[in-house]
Amino acid sequence: MDTKMQRRIGAIVLNVVVGLGGIIIILPVVWMLSASFKSTAEIYRFPPTLIPENLSPSNYQRLVTDWPFWNWYVNSLFVAVVVTIAVLFFSSLAGFGFAKYRFRGNKVLFLILLGSTMIPFQLILIPLFIIMSRLSWTNTYNALIIPFMAPAVSIFLMRQFITSIPSELMESARIDGASEFGIYWRIILPLSRPALAALAVLTFLGSWNSFLWPLSVLRAREAMTLPVGLASIQGGLTAGSEAPIGPSMAGATLVTIPIILVFILVQRHYIAGLTAASVKQ
Amino acid sequence: MSLTDLEQVRSPSAAGKTAGMAQIRIAPYIFISPFFILFAVFFLFPTVFALILGFFNWRGLGQPEWFALRNYERLFRDQIFWQSVQNTIFYSGFSLFIIVPLALLEAMALNAKALRFKTLWRILYFAPIVTSTVAVAIVFRMLYNREFGIINNLLISLGAAPVDWLGDPAWVKWAVMGVVVWRWTGLLAVYFLAGLQAIPEELHEAAAIDGANAFQRFLHVTLPSLRPVILFVSVIVLIGSMQIFDDPQVLFGAGSPGGPANAGLSIVQYLYTRGINDLLFGYASAVGLFLFVVIFVLSLVQFRVFRGFEVD
Repeated sequence: MDTKMQRRIGAIVLNVVVGLGGIIIILPVVWMLSASFKSTAEIYRFPPTLIPENLSPSNYQRLVTDWPFWNWYVNSLFVAVVVTIAVLFFSSLAGFGFAKYRFRGNKVLFLILLGSTMIPFQLILIPLFIIMSRLSWTNTYNALIIPFMAPAVSIFLMRQFITSIPSELMESARIDGASEFGIYWRIILPLSRPALAALAVLTFLGSWNSFLWPLSVLRAREAMTLPVGLASIQGGLTAGSEAPIGPSMAGATLVTIPIILVFILVQRHYIAGLTAASVKQ
Repeated sequence: MSLTDLEQVRSPSAAGKTAGMAQIRIAPYIFISPFFILFAVFFLFPTVFALILGFFNWRGLGQPEWFALRNYERLFRDQIFWQSVQNTIFYSGFSLFIIVPLALLEAMALNAKALRFKTLWRILYFAPIVTSTVAVAIVFRMLYNREFGIINNLLISLGAAPVDWLGDPAWVKWAVMGVVVWRWTGLLAVYFLAGLQAIPEELHEAAAIDGANAFQRFLHVTLPSLRPVILFVSVIVLIGSMQIFDDPQVLFGAGSPGGPANAGLSIVQYLYTRGINDLLFGYASAVGLFLFVVIFVLSLVQFRVFRGFEVD
């Protein structure tokens, strides 16, 4: 009886603590969403109102008229989609090459690939920036897409997955006269769907949220991606000074809320992808 | 092409076989070549370029000036650089010793049998992973506001003294960590949760039958089983926190990216400021090499640790 009581109390405490934690975690998001519809005065009020007194879309209107917000959105979306498609294609293709063929240099080339994952992007930030300037790629999509179309980590992930696909399928396809690319396209790709889905979510999010590199190569206002544009709304402000808060909150809402909604739909793939990346390393 | 021709192509005739073999020999090179071309141009070349740049004084225009080790000599006497190293070590230490245990606790709570509405809580706790750091930092900037921010207003209503989160050098690092806790704990908890779910139920049951209480079971069943996951998480946390940039950069604003007295400046922020803002390409490359060496050592530790586990 005593331990039963203890267990019940424990369960209640657990549920209450997890619930409170969940509320604290979601609070900044709720606050942001609510603030995006408020006037500056109401944003600053304490205690804060959950439902804005004057629910007004004016922050959103200001955001799209005073800043090229739709340009930023289109830029971010275009770059993320193209990078994702390219990464899926090149990573699965190279992963297939490494997983299913014995060829001269296989091991060495794969070791080079693995070794390169130890080099932090920041080491090549400056040289890559110089290359972009020389190619006149600053402020272009090229700078955001082309260097990131075949990351070593994604190839590693795809190789690990494709290794587990039985080779007999390839053999029988060859006997049926399939070309090597045909095998990739008609057998490997469809069977890699779970890995591709996970990789797609990880890649899309990585591109969508990326900041350091776009900040380095984008200077023109119209060329910016969402994170760079959002940060620029804050401008060269110093800590604690005034910022156009309302439009900032509207922008932050439009960047995060659609992604959170998509996350809720694809969370299984996403979490599978994250854990695959951890187990396989 | 007639039907009989097609049949011929399909049949593994001698000629068809050699053509097929040639294809099999060439195909893998073609498949991996897009990667290696991109790799050579946008990774290998810049990496070598970075190492060389560290020995030059160059601002992008005119002839690079041979500097030998002067960039590195300057760097090691650079107060701001050491400040950024110190700050980054703080970020790493905090992440390792506060966020990692917190994530483990979170994962255990989310995995507990007695917990209801599991899917709902998992979505709530894991949602921060997908948010944009820039958007989150902008929101936290408001929450941290000295006069109007919710956090200070809450402190005041609780009778505590308000804190100048983004203006007081003693507090700015904690403010940065607040954002990092919010964004990273869920991600690490995902790894821990996967690890916890891989522990066979029988282990816990056997320990319970032997009379082990919950804490003893945690100590003798959960922790040892999670060792590989804990090590993996610790290494990605260390490497990730060494590269911290977005959070302080947006929190403090482009006007003073390091916060007051550079008390929040990270190594990568310093690299960015020197390289992209001041165009001191050689000097920034020296900072980059320093960071590379630190991360390389951490990665080697990771590889060794995981080799060890495969052998076990």
